[in-house]
Amino acid sequence: MKLLVCLKQILDPDVPARDFQIDPAAKAARRGGANLVTNIFCENAVETALQFREAATAEVKITALCYGESSAEDCLRKAMAMTVDEACLVERDGNTNPDAAAVGRVLAAAIRRLEQDGGPFDAVLVGRESGDWGVGQTGGLLAEELGRPALGFVESLQPGNGGVTLRRQTDVGIEVAEAEPPFLVTITNNEDNVPRIPKTRDVMMSYRKPLQKLSLADLELDSEEIRTGSSIFEVEEIFIPADEVECELAEGDTLEERVDQLAKRIHQVVASIG
Amino acid sequence: MANVAVCVLGSLGYDRAAQGAAGAGRALAESVGGELHALVIGPASDNAVAALAAVADRVVIGANEALGDYQPEQALQAAQQLHAAGGGDYVAVLLSNDTYSQEIAPRLAHRLGGSSMADAAAIRADGDHLLAQRTAYGGKAISIYRLKKQPAVVWLRARGFEPAPEQGAPGDVTTVDLALDPPRIRITGREVAAQEGVRLEDAPVIVSGGRGLGGPEPFQELKKLANAIGAEQGASRAACDAGWVPPNWQVGYLCHQVAPELYIAIAISGASQHLLGMGDSKVVAAINTDADAPIFKHCSFGIVEDYKQVVPLLTEKLQSMAG
Amino acid sequence: MDPTQATREVFWNIEYTWLVYVLMVPTLAVFGWGFWLKIRRWRAGQPEVRFDRLGERMQLFLKNAVGQGRTIKRRYAGIFHTLVYTGFIVLFLATTVVAIHHDTPLHIMKGHFYLIFQSLTVDIFGLFVMVGVALAAIRRWISKPKLLVYTDEASWILVTIFVMALTGFMIEGWRIAVTDDPWAAWSPIGNLFALASDPLMSDAAMQTGHVAIWWFHLVVAFGWIAWVPFSKMSHVFTAPLNIFTANLDGYGGSLKTIDFETAERFGINHLGDFTWKDLLDFDACTECGRCTDVCPANTVGKSLSPRDIILDLQALMHKRGDTVLVSGNGDNGNGSGEVELLPIIDQKTAVSPEALFACTTCAACMEACPVHIEQMPKIVDARRYLVMEEADFPEGMMDMMNSLESRQHPFAGTQFSRVDWTEGLDIDVMAEMDDPHEAEVLMWVGCGGALVERNRNTVRATAKLLQKAGVKFAILGREESCTGDPARRVGNEFLFEMLAKGNVETMQRYGVRKVVTSCPHCFNSFRNEYPQFGGSYEVYHHSQFLDQLLESGRLDGNGAAVSSNGSSTITFHDPCYLGRHNGEYDAPRNLLAKLGDARQVEMERSRNTSFCCGGGGGMAFVDEPPDQRVNQERAQEAVDTGADVVAVGCPFCATMLDDGVNARRGDRDVKVKDVAELLWDAVGEPGQAAP
Ligand SMILES: Cc1cc2nc3c(=O)[nH]c(=O)nc-3n(C[C@H](O)[C@H](O)[C@H](O)COP(=O)(O)OP(=O)(O)OC[C@H]3O[C@@H](n4cnc5c(N)ncnc54)[C@H](O)[C@@H]3O)c2cc1C
Ligand code: SF4
Ligand code: SF4
Repeated sequence: MKLLVCLKQILDPDVPARDFQIDPAAKAARRGGANLVTNIFCENAVETALQFREAATAEVKITALCYGESSAEDCLRKAMAMTVDEACLVERDGNTNPDAAAVGRVLAAAIRRLEQDGGPFDAVLVGRESGDWGVGQTGGLLAEELGRPALGFVESLQPGNGGVTLRRQTDVGIEVAEAEPPFLVTITNNEDNVPRIPKTRDVMMSYRKPLQKLSLADLELDSEEIRTGSSIFEVEEIFIPADEVECELAEGDTLEERVDQLAKRIHQVVASIG
Repeated sequence: MANVAVCVLGSLGYDRAAQGAAGAGRALAESVGGELHALVIGPASDNAVAALAAVADRVVIGANEALGDYQPEQALQAAQQLHAAGGGDYVAVLLSNDTYSQEIAPRLAHRLGGSSMADAAAIRADGDHLLAQRTAYGGKAISIYRLKKQPAVVWLRARGFEPAPEQGAPGDVTTVDLALDPPRIRITGREVAAQEGVRLEDAPVIVSGGRGLGGPEPFQELKKLANAIGAEQGASRAACDAGWVPPNWQVGYLCHQVAPELYIAIAISGASQHLLGMGDSKVVAAINTDADAPIFKHCSFGIVEDYKQVVPLLTEKLQSMAG
Repeated sequence: MDPTQATREVFWNIEYTWLVYVLMVPTLAVFGWGFWLKIRRWRAGQPEVRFDRLGERMQLFLKNAVGQGRTIKRRYAGIFHTLVYTGFIVLFLATTVVAIHHDTPLHIMKGHFYLIFQSLTVDIFGLFVMVGVALAAIRRWISKPKLLVYTDEASWILVTIFVMALTGFMIEGWRIAVTDDPWAAWSPIGNLFALASDPLMSDAAMQTGHVAIWWFHLVVAFGWIAWVPFSKMSHVFTAPLNIFTANLDGYGGSLKTIDFETAERFGINHLGDFTWKDLLDFDACTECGRCTDVCPANTVGKSLSPRDIILDLQALMHKRGDTVLVSGNGDNGNGSGEVELLPIIDQKTAVSPEALFACTTCAACMEACPVHIEQMPKIVDARRYLVMEEADFPEGMMDMMNSLESRQHPFAGTQFSRVDWTEGLDIDVMAEMDDPHEAEVLMWVGCGGALVERNRNTVRATAKLLQKAGVKFAILGREESCTGDPARRVGNEFLFEMLAKGNVETMQRYGVRKVVTSCPHCFNSFRNEYPQFGGSYEVYHHSQFLDQLLESGRLDGNGAAVSSNGSSTITFHDPCYLGRHNGEYDAPRNLLAKLGDARQVEMERSRNTSFCCGGGGGMAFVDEPPDQRVNQERAQEAVDTGADVVAVGCPFCATMLDDGVNARRGDRDVKVKDVAELLWDAVGEPGQAAP
């Protein structure tokens, strides 16, 4: 069996709030001193794939794919250190914030290309959303580009009778599904797919594993068309909401008054959540 | 003419989320001068249909036996066919924020050649485009997206929108028969009861208690408070260690790292490890007798007072406010 | 009677004396064979240089082997061990004297020497042995402290030694009685025996008894000698050798680097990957249990026991060692094929992952060990294997390492950046200076200082004190990364090396020569570990630097009191990585002494026997079970001194003890404060209190 995991490199979501700044021209967060990391749900996806491989009796080969800057090589190396077998980077050539449709098209083209060379992928795994923009559309759009059935919010893949058994989280509880390859899933986290820390030996080995690099031209895609022609949304505006740092202490002469103030503030927030 | 559709799953009925989505749809329809249509995937209760008819100009119900049991592929196919059955001329197709809607929204957008967007807290038309506002960077920023293709298929943070107002005359209801393919991914089982409450990480409101409570009993008081505002309960490690509450209540670096909209820390000093676990909360409120407690440096509002005085009174007030 | 003619007959009453020599041959052969086996096993270990710096080694040898410097630190054991130890030496010398007298032309056993040494002294020391063994027996059989290992072997050792001494006196006594030895008074114990036997036994009976007991004594003694290399008595030889070859560089620099390009395995899970000195360590253990007794993890009830780690590895080595050499590459030493490599990490032994990951790397065990066994580096070696080869470690450590890898600091989820603490303090950042060389010192802030709310006060106070004293300093700001200490201690040497190399490079860029830091872990890395990566600096812990500033008058601490009421009692908690690891106990105390009228009290366990806060070795990132918290044990001790301020000198101690003290202080107001905070409170200008 062959699995493909899509990875995204993002700005460290743990950057302290105080360090977080917006670049108004780019309409995106400023990199600043922050690091770039693999999106956590993508790492959950890698872990889920690895666990599937460990549970499967048949041979399973896992490929990692990323559409990103050259720095995203780090993410792919890390995935290979986690013991993904091979990786492919589609270089992003300056399209700093491609929309989900563009990413979906590029990934689909790359997947078709990899399938041409190495046979079909039984399952494609995509993180449910990214820790930067968090739009969460890529998985669904990619499924459509590839014409695959899909299931969202999956937390585990298990070899099933004939196909693959999926478990997923929904707002009504856990659901179990049977899937016949080929299919696509988006992966969410649970306590069992916390990404493993690679063994040091595997970290060193990851530099010897194959990392294929493709350009949009290699995929016969027109970068301009990808950037504008097929774009479905763009950022119109982004800003940091005014945050209240000063703690407002409830004031008033009587306890009654002070608690009343507190109650009103709490009610206000709770009501706004809906 | 440009209309707006709200797409609901029949099995979920006309719940608060669907009401919000319809409300957002009505407001949008008015601003573009079009109608609001409700596209219903699968059989719905008579009440739900009536309620939808009361707020929408037209209700289209997609019928097929298979739709009684949600399968994503079939629901998607159904939505696509309903879109056509409703006239297909929509600037926006709005969905609510249940898991199923979230999952089919982008794929529907792709099939309809439109734009997609998730988790919108506000939407508005701007010429041919729709603008959708949502949070970005894990809540550190707010972004407004321009959705460039029609229809804009958007799932909303639906409970945040006012329910749709009832129209003078109920919209007409049609049922269309849909042809569906057998699904290639089939949901075969549900463990609905598996989850008790909401995971702390996902809870929008958390009420946590600390060592200052002095024992297990006060957590009952806190539970009343939590119930009044639909909150989950958490605790500091000191409280968990003391055995007052189960260890999996612990909020902090080592246990649940939470990011609710509102975090209420009661008799918690705000030790660094605790802060590491709840520092991403949107709004933090504290009740503590010590004005110098570090927690006050991390909260938006609070009260320097004994919790014993505050909590019962607060619960009472919040209960009455909730109506 | 002419005392110059005093002597006695060797082999009085004994026939077939040639048999003695015949028996001696197998005895010595077995003895030699036993030690040869040991040496052969040690030699199968990896190379390590431990015969350099002979002068220093000799000194240590004289102090702690000959002089029993560490053994006598425990009163009771110190007394009985000294009695037996000195007794043995004297008896051994006496036997040598006999041999020389009898088997060479040098008839030295006569005259005053015979009377004073060979008779009186030997009798007294013989008595010492018996008393010492009796004291040991009381401890082993009656008081039964937890630190001992209760083996039959240990009991037999006591019995045999006692029997040897007793039979020695018996044969001496009967000889005196039968021969009416004119010099009897010089052998008081033997004489006592003679006097006691005289009325009870006929000469003939004594004579017969003498022959029987004499041979019995000889057989026991020879048997015992042959047994030495196979029992813990071998420590008589291995311990001095182990002390001679001890690590001379302090505990702070005792971890080895790994050559990742060539290493076959990272870390150790097979005996053959240890160095010969490690293997010698296993054989040198005296089973005294002091290491386990002082181990903080063990004290709070965790399964870690450094003694049992050493002994279980010793047992493993012996199991494999008798016929098969332990060899790292799976060779059995005779070239006759592969042997299975037994793992040293084993859930069923003391070397379980759970125990290994309870170690705070505090080095209390190493400091307590009378024979200088190095337990902690072996624990880290095994952790390395678990972390790097198996990726197997506690969850909290995983988050810490993930964070180190992607953010170069261990505090996942911190709300602060590395420079937030400087707000309002005009502090130079190297990268923003026109000429970074203008800064005479680099203030190394450390992750624990910059990123943990509670400690930002400490670094602010330190910076402000430096400013007040007019020290030209700068920080690296966002260019600072974790020194890698937590990674190294948990066993992720790979990550440590990466971080260390990165920091060395950054500091090289700014030509840093002098570093001051308020984190003892950073301090230790710079001082002892960065030189391994090409970074050599003059390094100060902030307490040292501030103490110097006070000494030289650049800062004035006099007259100021620590608390507003001026009557604080302070107790100082020695950070392991400042104290035991680097030998600095005085600077922070000096500094506190200059804080006006604050009174200093010491905890029972302080200075080199200080008890860890529980935060070292990556343990600050692990959730300990509520009833097994090292920090609370220590906090209790601090609270029990009656102090109202617990002074610390380490950001990890600060958070660990804060938590512990709050849990244990009850209604009392006890605060945990860094020495720099206290000093600033005392000397800072009014209105300039560290916020
Ligand atoms: C390695 C390590 C990891 C840790 N991880 C975590 C973690 O994940 N999560 C965590 O929470 N902690 C963690 N801790 C513990 C942390 O350091 C604190 O000890 C703990 O959070 C303190 O809990 P607390 O705030 O409830 O108690 P305290 O710090 O004792 O605070 C009690 C507070 O209650 C207030 N109070 C008292 N009486 C009243 C009253 N009648 N009304 C109102 N207020 C009152 C007091 O003013 C005080 O501020 C960790 C500690 C260590 C060492
Ligand atoms: S270093 Fe400290 S914690 Fe580790 S074994 Fe030795 S005494 Fe115990
Ligand atoms: S290792 Fe040292 S301290 Fe520990 S039992 Fe052995 S001899 Fe004693």
